[in-house]
Amino acid sequence: MRERLQSVLAYTGAGFMLLVAVSVPFVLMPAFTKVVGHAGVHIDAAYSGGTIARTIQRPGYRIVVYQPVQPRLLEQIEPFVQIVFRPADALPARVCDEIDLDGDGRPDVRVAFAVPVDPRTPLRGDVTALNGKYISLANVAGESFSRLMVRTENGIVVRVPLNGNLAHR
Amino acid sequence: MAAFSLSACAGEALVLGLATGPVCLASCGPVVVPWMLVQPNGVRVHSRQLLLFLTARLAGYLAFAAALWLVGSTIPRSWPGRSWLFGSVQLLLAIALVVYAAGFPRRRCALAKPSTDLVQIGEASPPRSSGALALGFLTGINLCPPFLVAGVRAAQLATLSASLLFFLFFFAGTALWFVPFLSLGFVRRTPALVTVARMVAVLLACWYGFSGITNLIERALYG
Amino acid sequence: MASRSSNLTHPPVFRGVGRSILLTVPIALWSLLMFTPAFQHAGRNLRIGAVAAILFMTALFFLMMRTGETYRWRRIFFVALGFLFPVGFIASLVAERGTMSIPISRMVSGDTPFCFMVTPSLLVPAAFARTIIFPGSILPTASNPHSIAVMIGLWFAFTLVLGKAWCSYACFFGGIEEGFAAFPKRRRLHKFITRWGSRLRLVPWAILLFVVLGSAVLFEPVYCMWLCPFKTVTEFPAVRNVETAIQFGVFIALFAGLVVALPFLTKKRTQCGFFCPFGAFQSLFNKINLFEIRFDRAKCVDCTLCQTTCPTVALSSESIREGKTLLNCMKCGACVDVCKKDAAVWHLKGTPVAVKPERARLLFLYGAWALATMFGGSILANSVAAMIGFLPWK
Repeated sequence: MRERLQSVLAYTGAGFMLLVAVSVPFVLMPAFTKVVGHAGVHIDAAYSGGTIARTIQRPGYRIVVYQPVQPRLLEQIEPFVQIVFRPADALPARVCDEIDLDGDGRPDVRVAFAVPVDPRTPLRGDVTALNGKYISLANVAGESFSRLMVRTENGIVVRVPLNGNLAHR
Repeated sequence: MAAFSLSACAGEALVLGLATGPVCLASCGPVVVPWMLVQPNGVRVHSRQLLLFLTARLAGYLAFAAALWLVGSTIPRSWPGRSWLFGSVQLLLAIALVVYAAGFPRRRCALAKPSTDLVQIGEASPPRSSGALALGFLTGINLCPPFLVAGVRAAQLATLSASLLFFLFFFAGTALWFVPFLSLGFVRRTPALVTVARMVAVLLACWYGFSGITNLIERALYG
Repeated sequence: MASRSSNLTHPPVFRGVGRSILLTVPIALWSLLMFTPAFQHAGRNLRIGAVAAILFMTALFFLMMRTGETYRWRRIFFVALGFLFPVGFIASLVAERGTMSIPISRMVSGDTPFCFMVTPSLLVPAAFARTIIFPGSILPTASNPHSIAVMIGLWFAFTLVLGKAWCSYACFFGGIEEGFAAFPKRRRLHKFITRWGSRLRLVPWAILLFVVLGSAVLFEPVYCMWLCPFKTVTEFPAVRNVETAIQFGVFIALFAGLVVALPFLTKKRTQCGFFCPFGAFQSLFNKINLFEIRFDRAKCVDCTLCQTTCPTVALSSESIREGKTLLNCMKCGACVDVCKKDAAVWHLKGTPVAVKPERARLLFLYGAWALATMFGGSILANSVAAMIGFLPWK
């Protein structure tokens, strides 16, 4: 009797597995995507740049300043602040902006770069720190996750390292 | 007044230790886990070994605290000696892991029975105090970020005893985070588990060795 | 030892053409259903690829039914998947950005396609800090359809249905090794496997623990950054400093050694059996999966042919004596097909061993082949389309 019940359960389970297999593309995948979307997880700030702090309007484009990103546990990155100039297509040929990163009303860095006409041309530029809280970058491209100036679909992404770092990658 | 400022200092250190404990755990945890898994199971054995480990870690902290205070300074970020120290400690840690956790070179008993491949490296090591002390001390002087933060504060204190007291309470705060490791004492030691733990110790040793060598080479090349 | 003529518990499988066709019809219909969007919306090359994939998958399943063998036909699909996936994938990378290397701009904008191999590394940071330590996107986007949610969903479904048979029906990387292992007629390092195999099969567990610990404390996907050999045939972070240069060297060396040379010399899937931490992770799901391979002790004569044949050393003398495989069995069917005494059988947990094993095999294969067609078949179709695109007279 017990063996019969076990067999019935086993075959029921196997049938259920088959049902799961065929429902993957129609039901399971959309449902799973929704669940993950609501799970409250986010991409590590070292990759995503963190959360938006403020947006600064400029003629024709805007500058999005992000919250500072600090390394977690033994994460091998320098603390940095991300700045995004968007949209990239609307930027003037040469950009030179003084930006207040910490919201105290005083500019903290000067970012200067020439926007290539061809989006695939590598981008290089300079970041000049106007106070001791940040580190200047000369002719920077994509050195590391904490020090970069790259073009993405979102815009021109600049990451300025904060002074007082212990390790970098 | 002095008692009040001392107790305030101790309180500050304890809170700092509790707050930065996860980072200490991240620093030392990868060493502790495989090393404890190669010990025989049993909470009593593990308690003793963990206590020795933490005591040696404290000794490392206090030795550094005393040195910092005597020098009269914090460790500046640009201090070139940091990389030499980091690199050397990491190399020593790699060797200690190989010797005490992975268990090489192995003492071969003349009466050892012929074994299948797994039995010899799958046997839990008899608990060795020297292993706990060596690994504890080396992780203690490994200059993890919370250690440096505590060092900055401790170096500002007026007396050597205050500095040592600060580190003692800081250590207590971080040590609380290590208590869950005692649960490893309940895990049944199969030959496969012990073998895996030894292999992890070797991998960690490779990691620390690689980090140590690259630190030393970087310092040698770039000054 | 029971006589083989006594068929009370294991009747011979009828392998007539008609029955085989009938059993194949569901798979044929499923394949058509899976590739309908390709016929409706895609270009000519992809339609040709879809037809090829449908015929290929259906034909192989028919042969599985007709011959009663699993391993040989599954291997053809799996090796094809292993070698064709890089073709399609690399072609798409080169067409899009002219290089296999991932520029940092793509990582920063979350456009890195998610690879399931990184899943174990993500668990601790995701559980404790709600953080995904991978430079991808959580939900699919126009520029990154292979988002984290999609790929993990696929992996989860496969694993629920098949357990570690993911490594036999989905992982295209394993197909590469299986291909190199299939080339030589005989193995050259047989003694190496006999002596070290039982120890080496624990290495994936050690690497799993190492990458989980390392990823948790460093907040980076340690396996991807340092240990993954398959960056050689997919994509890799652009070399921009000494560290990334060393990483580049490591993965090339691992690929050459573990994926090409050792499988060729040992005829084993050495990367899968002796290195892959994701495989060790998948092994855990064998504990809860309903399908397994068991041994009928009444028929087994301890010839060890199954042990010699197993591509991942998932059998030991002790386990066979107990009538079971080890936890790292990937249900490829090699031992079942090679066993001359029909002692190795497919089994559904909860049912008696060696009673109607063909039923267990069918239930397993329908699920496995349905998923393989959906996932691997679409990869094959895309790769064939890419190859047609290379032709001068396209």
